Amino acid sequence: MKPPPFAYHAPTQLDEALALLERYGDDAKVLAGGQSLMPLLNFRLSYPSALIDINRVAELSYLRQENDQVRIGALTRQRTIEFSELVRRQLPLLSEATTLVGHLPIRTRGTIGGSLAHADPAAEYPAVALVLDAELVLQRPGGQRSVSAEEFFVSYLTTVLAPNEIVTEIRFSPAPPTSGCAFEEVARRHGDFALVGVAGVIDAEGEQCRTARLAAAGVGPTPIRLRTAEDILVQEGVTEQSIQRAAAKAAELVEPDSDIHASADFRRHLTEVLTRRAIQRALERGRERRA
Amino acid sequence: MEEFTPKLVGARVKRREDQRLLTGQGAYVDDHHPPGLLHAAFLRSPYAHARMTQLDTSAARTREGVVAVLTGKDLVSLVKPVRAVSKMREYKETSFPPLAVDKVRYVGEALAVVIAENRYLAEDAIEWIRVEYDPLPTVANERDAAQPDAPVLHDEAGSNVLLSREFARGDVDAALAGAAVRVRDRFRFRRHATVCMENRGCLADYRAGTGELTLRSATQCPGLLRDVLADLLDMPEHYIRVVAADVGGGFGAKSSLYPEEIVLCAVARLLKRPVKWISDRQEDLKTSTQAWDEIVDAELGLQADGTIIGLRADVTTDIGAYSIYPWTATVEPIQTISFLSGPYRMPHYRGRNRGVATCKAPMGPYRGVGRPITTFVLESLMDRAARRLALDPAELRLKNYIRADEFPYKTPSGLVWDQASLTECMQKARDVLDSDATAQWRVQARAAGRWVGVGFATYIELTGVGSAIPVSPGMPIATGTEAAFLRVDPAGTVIATFSVAPQGQGHETALAQVVADALGVSFGSVRVICGDTALAPQGTGTYASRSAVLAGGAAIRAGQALKEKALKIAGHMMESNPADLDIRDGQVFLRDKPERRLPFRDVAKTAYAGLRRLPKDMEPGLEVTRFYDPFFGTASSATHAAVVEVDTETYAVTIKRYIVVEDCGRIINPLIVDGQVRGGVAQGIGAALYEEVVYDDEGQLLTGSLMDYLVPTASELLPIEVHHIETPSPTTLGGFRGMGEGGTIGAPAAIANAVSDALAHLGIEINEIPMTPEKLFRLVRAAGADGR
Repeated sequence: MKPPPFAYHAPTQLDEALALLERYGDDAKVLAGGQSLMPLLNFRLSYPSALIDINRVAELSYLRQENDQVRIGALTRQRTIEFSELVRRQLPLLSEATTLVGHLPIRTRGTIGGSLAHADPAAEYPAVALVLDAELVLQRPGGQRSVSAEEFFVSYLTTVLAPNEIVTEIRFSPAPPTSGCAFEEVARRHGDFALVGVAGVIDAEGEQCRTARLAAAGVGPTPIRLRTAEDILVQEGVTEQSIQRAAAKAAELVEPDSDIHASADFRRHLTEVLTRRAIQRALERGRERRA
Repeated sequence: MEEFTPKLVGARVKRREDQRLLTGQGAYVDDHHPPGLLHAAFLRSPYAHARMTQLDTSAARTREGVVAVLTGKDLVSLVKPVRAVSKMREYKETSFPPLAVDKVRYVGEALAVVIAENRYLAEDAIEWIRVEYDPLPTVANERDAAQPDAPVLHDEAGSNVLLSREFARGDVDAALAGAAVRVRDRFRFRRHATVCMENRGCLADYRAGTGELTLRSATQCPGLLRDVLADLLDMPEHYIRVVAADVGGGFGAKSSLYPEEIVLCAVARLLKRPVKWISDRQEDLKTSTQAWDEIVDAELGLQADGTIIGLRADVTTDIGAYSIYPWTATVEPIQTISFLSGPYRMPHYRGRNRGVATCKAPMGPYRGVGRPITTFVLESLMDRAARRLALDPAELRLKNYIRADEFPYKTPSGLVWDQASLTECMQKARDVLDSDATAQWRVQARAAGRWVGVGFATYIELTGVGSAIPVSPGMPIATGTEAAFLRVDPAGTVIATFSVAPQGQGHETALAQVVADALGVSFGSVRVICGDTALAPQGTGTYASRSAVLAGGAAIRAGQALKEKALKIAGHMMESNPADLDIRDGQVFLRDKPERRLPFRDVAKTAYAGLRRLPKDMEPGLEVTRFYDPFFGTASSATHAAVVEVDTETYAVTIKRYIVVEDCGRIINPLIVDGQVRGGVAQGIGAALYEEVVYDDEGQLLTGSLMDYLVPTASELLPIEVHHIETPSPTTLGGFRGMGEGGTIGAPAAIANAVSDALAHLGIEINEIPMTPEKLFRLVRAAGADGR
């Protein structure tokens, strides 16, 4: 379990990193926290000719509020996000989901940009980005573009990132202060990848539901936005029956696979259970926040 | 023999090795870097079963940093093949070449080794070895393996069935035909891996000048390795030294001889340079011995009042691709049918087993060997019987335990239990659990729709086995003795060297307590050294819950022998009769007049002062080696109780309480015993709920990392309540009983019974572990109780 040979670059400026990426193109891998890439290298499942280590690119590590948005630099460590007052206040869902990411040493190294760019569909951050309608800033030499999380994820470990692009920033618009959120997941052990995770953000008062946003992790090639289930809540209002129907709908919308930890059937079942739990807890949180 | 008077024994002495081990000061194999060190990497088979038609190492030899590349054929002239021999009838002996020759039989089998300046370069060069395989049909599981037309793994055996055996007493078929109640099921233990904190690894160093070969290995059995390596390498034993200094866990998986140990010794001797190999986690999961892969069809018969009348069982064990040295493929299968009759009076019994070879990593011993599954099978049947008879499961057990006046009790397989505290353990477990309050809680929780349950398991196990019974049937090595070598230096401090070799069990503390008591000196004046064949007396190592009994017994004998000599010298110095003297706290004193005393160190100094100062005809010096053979060994027993809740929607099992009441005889150190029990229970919880080695139909390992092979972490565990009944063994020196494995033996059964109790209203009875959420989901869905 030693990585194959590779050239190693550790730029300190974003421009420098982009220039290297331009030079190597598809043959290079960007190393951020390394929590997924290093195992891939050590198992010799990946043979990049160069690693571009961006850990010294200080300009990519920040957390700030700007124009009603929370902007997070791609290199910001998960542990920083976990303890950020700003995130706790403005993005409680991100705060909660971060505590479910791996274990303490993993969160200490792991970055938000790395997790999103790696695009493991069972990871927490892609589902959070999707449910919060986050925007990702993708920088290339001489230009940048911004894509929505929904556009960003293409398939298993696959995104719209071009070979010469780096994720530099993630922009979140906080949910309304009257809303509540919840991230529910089932993993075999604490810190494992979720068998299924469901993120929910719901803005409701009484039975009236202004907006509902739901997304599921671990049940398809990308995190899955559960729009038809959201519609049930908005159209029917939040009642025990509509929650049950939305949860059942969620189980229809996902496309899980079977593996040694859970069958597709069981993942579908869990999607229904966790969607219901996420909705109920988000409603409860909303009530608490408004009280 | 003088009465052994415990003083330090029984005290909660803090483990003296922990300062070192917990602060990174331990010295494991990988902490050694001799000058000129080379590194080995192994090419391992990607196929489960294939013939190698071509193996070309020429390109790899030319890669940067490569010193040598060897294949199985190259080794033929350097080492003899390993034969896992056994005199057991109906056992077929097979070869296990250190590097595959012609044919590979499981994914991960080593077939070539690259020796290079560092591990990176060695792994790079591995990719330049060209192998052509002619794939053969995979023998994927025990069912396929036993088919008459199955592809045969070992041509020399002629069949994949490598062993079969039966133990019987009475006429079980007639007894069961007349039983008022019969309960039966097919039970399944899935294959387990042994996950140690320290992976396997070894470092071989051959000194051409002296002709000495030193192997540092993460092994439980340095003595055993030295003896067999001398034979395989055709070297004199006294020129081979095996050192197992600090070893990070073993649990049985480091008790066998491994191909890598042989290869490194051969290569070091060939190149005359030190060579190191440290297993990575993937290699460890692929190639360390695995365990417990068994199917048991069992049926228990009882009278209407709940009295057991008989048990019959057919066991099939998937032994993997190779029979291992020295335990052979018989170690798990035979112990299964040996122990299946459990802690109960069993008038009629028949246990049959056969072991079949498949394309998986070899099976070996793992904490509990045979007893985790037999306890699971029998204790599950007891609960089924209790449900059928509408009896309290604890009462049913109490009715059938071997009674105090029936010891020594001979089991149907011929083992003898010297004594055990079965009834006391169960009664205490019920008290600790507060059975009535728990029963009330269970009723209330169930009324609220929760799935909660309580489960018990009692086991009795054979520990500290002496020479009367081989650890594994018919095996060629003797495991009935261990020794202690005590040397008192002129300053009065003691170096106690043992042939046992711990992997974290705390021998340095526990054995120092025993030696200090036997000799009458302070704990601090005794230093214990284990795990180095150049220093230790002859012995094998630490395995099979034997060190407290065998090394502890040897320590008492050696300590008492030294004390006897020391008192003779002291008597001469004090002009007193040695019989009137005693030693305590490092002082020799006159029993009747304790103020007449002499420091022990003065006696020690005198021992080396020459004949002029010693009693007439006494040989100078104060050191001794003593061996101990407990002959039959002794029984340990325990009752475990688990309280669980199953999530009615996610099927996650939460253990709410876990209680152990055990009797391991005289306790040397309660802190160590509690730690061993808790560690064992943690592994049992892993077995019950998380751990499962999965191979697919092509024999590919799907659990090759710790993301897929799930061991419980601190987050999955709970405070485990440990209580002791302390009944010194009537048959062992010091009254010690072995206890290293017990925690793992009871836990799967107790948890399974608790889960069955929680799901009993759905008609679900657990017959397979691990009880994963997926499996419970399927059981609940099949029972029509998932709300659909």
